[in-house]
Amino acid sequence: MKRRLWWRSLGLHLFLTPLALLWLAPLWLMLVFSTHLETAIFSTPTPLLPGDQFWANLQNLQADTNFVRSLFNSVVVSGLYTLLSLFLTSLAGYAFARYQFFGKGALFSLVIATLTIPYFAVVIPQFILIAREAKTLLAVFLGMAAFGLMALALAWLRLPLWPRRGLWLGWGVLALAYLLWGVTAVREAMAFEFRLTNTYWAVILPALANSLGVFFMRQNFLSLPQSLLEAARLDGASELRIFFRIALPLVLPAMAALAIILFLNAWNDYLWPLLVLSDKNMQTAPVALGSLIGLTRVSWGGIMVGAVMTTLPFLVLFLFLQRYFIAGITAGGVKD
Amino acid sequence: MKPGATPYLFLLPYLAVFALFWAWPILDSLLLSFQNTRVYPPVWDLGVNWGRILRDSAFWDALRNTLLILVIQVPLMLTLATALAVALNSHLLKARGFFRFAFFAPVVVGAVAYSAVFRLLFNQNGAVNAALGLDFNWIFDPVGAMVVIIVALTWRWTGYNAIIILAGLQNIPKELYEAAEMDGASPWQQFWYVTLPSLRPVLLFCLVLSIIGTLQLFTEPWLITNGGPGTATTTLGVYLYRQGFQNINFGYASTIAYVITLLALVFSLIQLRLFGRES
Amino acid sequence: MRAILALGTALALSSALAQQIQGNPNLRGEITVWSWDIAAKALEANVPGFNKLFPNVKVTVVDLGNQATYDRGLAGCAAGGGDLPDVYSVENNEAEVFWTRFPNCFTDLNTLQPAASTLRNLFPAFKWTELTMGNRVYAIPWDSGPVVMFYRRDIYSQAGVNPNTIRTWDDFIAAGRKIAAATNNRVKVGVIANGQDDEWFRMLANQNGCFYFNNEGTAVTVNQPGCVTALETVKRLIDAGIVLQGGWNEQIQAFKAGTVATSMFGAWYEGTIRSNAPEQSGKWGVYPMPASRPGGVRAANLGGSALAIPASSRNKEAAWAFVRYALATTEGQITMLKQYGLVPSLLAATRDPYVQQPQPYWGNQRIWQVILGTLGSVPAARGTQFFQEARAIMVKTQADYVAGRFPSAKAALDAAAQQISQATGLPVAR
Repeated sequence: MKRRLWWRSLGLHLFLTPLALLWLAPLWLMLVFSTHLETAIFSTPTPLLPGDQFWANLQNLQADTNFVRSLFNSVVVSGLYTLLSLFLTSLAGYAFARYQFFGKGALFSLVIATLTIPYFAVVIPQFILIAREAKTLLAVFLGMAAFGLMALALAWLRLPLWPRRGLWLGWGVLALAYLLWGVTAVREAMAFEFRLTNTYWAVILPALANSLGVFFMRQNFLSLPQSLLEAARLDGASELRIFFRIALPLVLPAMAALAIILFLNAWNDYLWPLLVLSDKNMQTAPVALGSLIGLTRVSWGGIMVGAVMTTLPFLVLFLFLQRYFIAGITAGGVKD
Repeated sequence: MKPGATPYLFLLPYLAVFALFWAWPILDSLLLSFQNTRVYPPVWDLGVNWGRILRDSAFWDALRNTLLILVIQVPLMLTLATALAVALNSHLLKARGFFRFAFFAPVVVGAVAYSAVFRLLFNQNGAVNAALGLDFNWIFDPVGAMVVIIVALTWRWTGYNAIIILAGLQNIPKELYEAAEMDGASPWQQFWYVTLPSLRPVLLFCLVLSIIGTLQLFTEPWLITNGGPGTATTTLGVYLYRQGFQNINFGYASTIAYVITLLALVFSLIQLRLFGRES
Repeated sequence: MRAILALGTALALSSALAQQIQGNPNLRGEITVWSWDIAAKALEANVPGFNKLFPNVKVTVVDLGNQATYDRGLAGCAAGGGDLPDVYSVENNEAEVFWTRFPNCFTDLNTLQPAASTLRNLFPAFKWTELTMGNRVYAIPWDSGPVVMFYRRDIYSQAGVNPNTIRTWDDFIAAGRKIAAATNNRVKVGVIANGQDDEWFRMLANQNGCFYFNNEGTAVTVNQPGCVTALETVKRLIDAGIVLQGGWNEQIQAFKAGTVATSMFGAWYEGTIRSNAPEQSGKWGVYPMPASRPGGVRAANLGGSALAIPASSRNKEAAWAFVRYALATTEGQITMLKQYGLVPSLLAATRDPYVQQPQPYWGNQRIWQVILGTLGSVPAARGTQFFQEARAIMVKTQADYVAGRFPSAKAALDAAAQQISQATGLPVAR
């Protein structure tokens, strides 16, 4: 019995070891090539150990495209996106998990249905919105912000926010009039040129409609014991306070997993930033790096430095935080 | 207790973005596909794009390339991923951390970075030719270019699928194996009669994810081969990009987008049916 | 098909016509210019002269490469006009897509001072077709690309080939075989970017009076006899094994390495050869392109560009001054001809004494006389707004035909015509 297990174990390792080395080879060679000049990369035998030209390659890369600046852009875009998206998706996930309200089922199915819809189905209208209809977008957002502020003010004054029976018509008409007025006024005030392309917002805004995050947060909020929230409610805590002070701290590990995946996806995103960031000073790292591939005058050593700089931080993080990465991935699969 | 407006307020910020950037665009794409966008301003023309797509041989080439990748790469990857997951789950395995890192690390690597690496590795003077003693121009050969894309995709996504399958493996009740062992089942029989059937939902899930992913394949063929040589690696995603953002024909690009969406829906429905029978 | 008016007659009418530009030190600002390769360098060469007149305008020329300039221009227009430079370079054949699809993306140059209409007579009339829409003028003609054969005198004579006897493509193929034989098959007589581009097909088709579209831009004509002959000739050249296959960069590497004895291109390639291979000075010469049949047309056009000013420019006045200086003054155009071989569209510049001079790099041949001499017989061709879409289809068709996937050139081009028709909505001409 023991003997047979030993043989099996040997077979297992004989199968896995070469495969693992093969799998590590691209990453290792990426590291190695980033430290060699192009002549060395293309010489035979291929260099398998790091050289000392990393700095020279980095300077080449920096000369071809301002890569340090693109890294900075990537950090800002991914960081801001992660924070905002966490906020939006946890609010929405909490609502779906912990409240009963009219239209809940329909809304949730709508959000979840988009999980199986390819991104291409929306990319062109998204582009039109960001590139051409940015004024409309701004108007809608300002209108909604104002609406939210109004709602907050009403709540502050302890006025009934949700109309009693019979009052809803009056409220509806009022809201509609207000919205129309707001949109018109904002549009009038925006006779100036306004475009979102080549801004960080162009990348961040559309990606905030992340349905996977909502699904993930909802699952986690569902697992909270109802009694805990009810107790707080009985103590007279406001809904917002319950959410921030009680519910949110309990799902922090899940949020960490989500944050990692959101950040990683934003960091690695290519197609959308490529479309809306044409200005070299605004490009994220993948766009800047992608623009170099295929150009004949550009050094491969430099491109590998770029690849290393966009990848290595996450490889290191992955070594230590594997658990969170995996939690994020297995949460229902991460759409690329 | 009546929640009143609270849940709606909680949902408002997210739903606003969702309505603007997903719900409306899905509808707008459909509307665009019925417009002739090659004139200024665009005009309604119900047949111009849908009529064209049926007879557009470049579109069919792209569809064929995409399905080819689907048929070759996805089964290859999922088989390998299953094998890896089972191997990584084995209690006989030593240096588990090393192996997990080796296969899972690619999940953090961005498409642009690994496209650059694979393009370089498969360069005519590159490391792959050096290792194999070949002088083959992979990127500029129709079959070679396809091989490079499939290899790159497999490298990047096998570990990702293995992670999901591994999670599925760990959910299989131990008692099933104990019972099988009692009945004297060999490891191979255990795999065939216990593991695989239990993994079916997970594998189906991976399959659908991979199919949807492949249908939208863009970055790798765009950066590694630029869809070439000729149109040998032009996928639906690359063709859509060319029509939409190089020829600036939003109407036709939206039509292609809708075909991709319909294909994805068909595959998802098939999955639903298979799942439905199970539960 | 219409032939372009002989330049001579046009010249007589317009002699000495060129812009006189008044300098203005009060005009201030910075302008960015997008262009590619030699064209970018040529514009750069005009900056010092421009700055003598306008010392306070800072000009930055950015070399984006040809395809990227086009792609980013279109993307910029599609994005509502953001991220565009102050001066934009566009090839005439590719220009119409901008004005038809995005009529507000570029400045109507008639709205600037002085209005572009005052420049009309300085350029041949056909040059304006693709640059105007109704009364709007969107760009100013820059150069043209009369096609000639650039050849290595030393290699030709070593192989016993006299370029003056190459009158038809049959002669050319025979000469190519001779050169291959004399050099142990080391030297070819052309570089064709089969599978990447269809430039050779376009040059030969244009020579035969055929193009993707008719000159009104209303029908697809790519399957007409002139194009069929052109495609057949391209395949014959490749099948004969006398040409290399490769793109822009491969061609430069090849002539530098001396593995190619002929380059056929628009005359703007003169600057590319001269600046990339200064060590080969005196070894090169030019002769007119061979005809499809004895006594046939020995001229064609490839390329030729224009400059436009995006509507988003914050410094239109300075941009307009630069465009006029570079394109509408003899000084500006001759600078670009001298340094980078760009053939002027400006009529006055084609009469400049410089074009009569023997050129040392070209073995003291009066090459500009030879090149400008072909201009009068170049058949007209119009890119239309669908140029790039038609080109993509044609590139593939040519590659497939060369690979033997069609029974005949006619069948290949019939298929291409159908596809172009579907892609553009234009009917196939009878």
